[in-house]
Amino acid sequence: MIELSHVSKRFDTEIAVDDISLRVPKGKFCALVGTSGCGKSTTLRMINRLIEHSGGEIILDGQAIEAYDPVKLRRRIGYVIQHTGLFPHWRVARNIGLVPRLLKWPAAEVQARVEELMGLLGLPVGEFGHKYPHQLSGGQAQRVGVARALAADPDILLMDEPFGALDPITREKLQDELAKLQARMQKTVLFVTHDMDEALKLADHLVVMRDGRIVQQGTPLALLQHPADPFVESLLGGLERGLKQAALTRVRDHMTSMGPTLPAQSRIPADFSLRQALSMMLRDHSDRLTVVDQHDVPIGELTLRRIIKEAQFDRGSSRE
Amino acid sequence: MSLLDALPTPRIRWEGQHPNVVLISLSLVMLCAFWTVDVVSLAPNRIVMGTGYGALEAFGWPGVVLITLLLSSIGLFACQPTLPHYRALLTVVVGLMALMPVGLIASGLLLIDPELPQARLGIGTAYWVVLFVLMLCLVEIRLRLNLTRLWPTLLLTGVALVWWLCAALWLDNLALVQEFRARDRQFLTAVGQHIRLVSIAVGVSVVLGLLLAMLMRRYARLQKGAFTLLNFLQTIPSLALFGLLLAPLAWLAAKVPFLAQLGVSGIGTTPALIALIAYSLLPMVRNTYIALEEVSPDTLEAAKGMGMRAGQRFWQVRLPLALPVLLEGVRITTVQAIGLTAVAALIGAGGLGTFIFQGLGQAAMDMVLLGALPILIMALVVDAGLGALAEALRPGGH
Ligand SMILES: Nc1ncnc2c1ncn2[C@@H]1O[C@H](COP(=O)(O)OP(=O)(O)OP(=O)(O)O)[C@@H](O)[C@H]1O
Ligand SMILES: [Mg+2]
Repeated sequence: MIELSHVSKRFDTEIAVDDISLRVPKGKFCALVGTSGCGKSTTLRMINRLIEHSGGEIILDGQAIEAYDPVKLRRRIGYVIQHTGLFPHWRVARNIGLVPRLLKWPAAEVQARVEELMGLLGLPVGEFGHKYPHQLSGGQAQRVGVARALAADPDILLMDEPFGALDPITREKLQDELAKLQARMQKTVLFVTHDMDEALKLADHLVVMRDGRIVQQGTPLALLQHPADPFVESLLGGLERGLKQAALTRVRDHMTSMGPTLPAQSRIPADFSLRQALSMMLRDHSDRLTVVDQHDVPIGELTLRRIIKEAQFDRGSSRE
Repeated sequence: MSLLDALPTPRIRWEGQHPNVVLISLSLVMLCAFWTVDVVSLAPNRIVMGTGYGALEAFGWPGVVLITLLLSSIGLFACQPTLPHYRALLTVVVGLMALMPVGLIASGLLLIDPELPQARLGIGTAYWVVLFVLMLCLVEIRLRLNLTRLWPTLLLTGVALVWWLCAALWLDNLALVQEFRARDRQFLTAVGQHIRLVSIAVGVSVVLGLLLAMLMRRYARLQKGAFTLLNFLQTIPSLALFGLLLAPLAWLAAKVPFLAQLGVSGIGTTPALIALIAYSLLPMVRNTYIALEEVSPDTLEAAKGMGMRAGQRFWQVRLPLALPVLLEGVRITTVQAIGLTAVAALIGAGGLGTFIFQGLGQAAMDMVLLGALPILIMALVVDAGLGALAEALRPGGH
């Protein structure tokens, strides 16, 4: 568990982080969103003591961070850096095995762990283990960065814009993979991004920052429904807010019992989002879709009327 | 001094069929020099200035035609620079370099009267020009063919072997060879002294440079002062610095007998080494400092964030990443020291400079060459060797 209470950081005269309080319970995914320079990275780096905070209290697993030896503290926190920060003179496998080696794991165990992680992140050892970072694509380098952070199996993961420099398609793919990994591993994650869609997609808890302060925090849905001020609202996409909300809701939760079965192109899988459903309706000029399960068997019906009537969506059942 | 760097190093992309103007002009320069300037000179004895001979007299018609053809073929191949043509160019250029001593043998046979075995054959201006321009061609071809520095080094080593073989076996009349024969012991000693002076000076400044650079990183205030001092040292003419050291060191040696026993004196090795180290420190410290500072902050932040201790960060991340730039500093320092050590001969430190200054004193140009050529070769070898090493040590072997 990560707990920040009334934490501040001033550099000389400038206040980078101003009296912020937030809590990430064990196994939860918290996203920190805000415009450039609002203090997101600073917040993250105070937690692993790359920067010492100048006020307030940071508590990790019930203990103030000052009580930990900084080096040991960092070795138990996974850290993914804004621009990957891979060591250019080390091969991929050696990069990933860094923290286990620092922790003096036996060589064979390090090796096994590296192979396990590379498999987990879709980087075949035979193909990538011996490459140098400059031989990787941006997406592959980010995967290596994530693998390195996970290497010693830390409970806490700090991620600073891990997908910031990627094209939208690779970005989305890595987001999906991260969501899957998180569902399996249940790490306590603090994730920095300035991409609101990314935050909405991944986070259990969303924190919006501006000029070093927290403007609003809560579940993604709560923020979408009740943005605290115009800044948060515009960050959440202004007029697109309705669609973003729809994107967080699964078709399954709004379908009704079977109506007439429609032709194949008007079918939608139950775990798609309402946003995708709306898009299909717009495309096909229709106001209803047939909902199918993973074997393409019809199990219900979704109508436009119902979507609009029940616009008071609640959280999709697929992720709780 | 660093001939292999005479042209810019950035790799040039393959550009299709535009004529390579550089090689064409170089080819014309060589043809001009070959046809108009003296190729060799001949002197009856050591002191008398020789008489110059043009290509026709030195090589006869067949030789002139052959060499003219080879030199023009460089320009012709360069008009349509395709990959096979560049390969052909490489062969021609290296072949010409290897043919040059054979030319000297031929001109010796043609020009020297068998009655006058004392005659001395001197290498003429055209020879030097062509040799120098051929090296420039080699650099250009290396860039076009995207070869590493290792290739020209290997090829030039081969060429040097051919020269050496010819000189040892058939070029008895070459003035340079005679100068060498007359003092081969002395020559080897001088080479040894030269290498020793350079290695000690460079070795000490590498260690001192690393220490100073590390101190400067810790104490920012030291940085400005040290760089000012080192920059200032670098502006003193080398001879003046040797002279400046003479009086205080002589005084020290007179006052402290222990130091005198250690070999400290106003002239000789001690002041030479002090001056050499003083000059070597600036390029060494500057490159080491820049190399260490230039390492990407993201990488270092990562190292810290992953939980590496300060020592681990320095030895495992900062230093290895700084190594190529650092070696560049060693390369520059060494090449500079090889040249400067020649001046050290003036204060009795020995080395190849001895021949240069003795030769100048006796107006015997071939003796000057006997000192200058090995210095040039040493500089080239160090330049290429350390350059190749730095290239090989690029992060990720790239
Ligand atoms: N080491 C430092 N010294 C002085 N000021 C700093 C330092 N690090 C950060 N700052 C300042 O603190 C503020 C917050 O910086 P921070 O890096 O946390 O922003 P960020 O939200 O991560 O921005 P971005 O999205 O661009 O990464 C900025 O105004 C920055 O100038
Ligand atoms: Mg940042």
